[in-house]
Amino acid sequence: MLQDAQNVVSGISGADIATAAKYIAAGLCMGIGAIGSAIGEGLAAAHALDGMARQPEMQGALLRTMVLGQAITETTGIYSLLIAIVLLFVI
Amino acid sequence: MGEVYGQLLGLLENLGQKRIAVFHLLGVEIRFDVTTIVMSWVVIALLVLLALWLRRSLRQPIEEKPNRVQAALDALIDLLKSQLSGNFSSERLATLMFPFISTLFLYVLLSNWLGVLPYLTSPTQDLNVTFGLALLVFVLSQVLAVRFKGFRRYLGRFLEPYAFMLPINVVGEIAKPLSHSFRLFGNILAGTILVTVVMVKFIPIIVPPVLSIFFGLFFGGIQAFVFAILAVAYINVAVEE
Repeated sequence: MLQDAQNVVSGISGADIATAAKYIAAGLCMGIGAIGSAIGEGLAAAHALDGMARQPEMQGALLRTMVLGQAITETTGIYSLLIAIVLLFVI
Repeated sequence: MGEVYGQLLGLLENLGQKRIAVFHLLGVEIRFDVTTIVMSWVVIALLVLLALWLRRSLRQPIEEKPNRVQAALDALIDLLKSQLSGNFSSERLATLMFPFISTLFLYVLLSNWLGVLPYLTSPTQDLNVTFGLALLVFVLSQVLAVRFKGFRRYLGRFLEPYAFMLPINVVGEIAKPLSHSFRLFGNILAGTILVTVVMVKFIPIIVPPVLSIFFGLFFGGIQAFVFAILAVAYINVAVEE
């Protein structure tokens, strides 16, 4: 059994490990990178909703500001997406 | 004729799945993505035709009751004015910039929506297009800042609050067009990749069109709005007293 495992291990080349590392890195990059922007956008939406419940007449302005803030928060997520794309398709 | 066609085909290089035209001008290699250019032309042609069609239905005496097209156009202009132009810091800036911002919004919106149709791709999923648009906004905001505040006070803004903050202020200014363009490009490209992966690898029927409509129409509309609003915000920040 140990002999089998050694045979499998010796069949793996450095290029295979590099490919595997690339996919793992892309997945981790997207998964961890999305956490921050998701929390940030959720916070923005929650507080905008608070404001709307308190002052329904401000809904239009609050919605506009919320979308703007979420778009800026989303940028970090977009950066991690770009890095994941570069990892997958370019490198 | 066939010779010319052959030469044109020779210009095209297949790179990945993209068609790249390569020109040699004075020893410099210039590359164009043909798909992006043609799709940009489609968007421009659609906008111009829409404008011409709307203008034709406006030719009537003022006293006459507005027809349906005119009423729709009025509603559109009102919507653009209240949503985009209302964010400017001064009335003068709003009247000056309203045509530019509305055109930017309509161009990006139509570009995003073009990707929903089969055989067509959004020009905005090419970084060159979005970076060009962001660069346009960047240069415009700098020019407006010099014009509104004068050159001396424009330069003085980079030294605030302290003189040693100059590098940070310069980097912050350069980062604006970068993040502005990456945001639009990343969102549209992510939608396209997701739809393509679902179509090729998982379910080829029913689901991809629904996803495509969701990402293309809904996200495309929001991103176009965000792009225009951010352009307004950048111009506001550059011009503010």
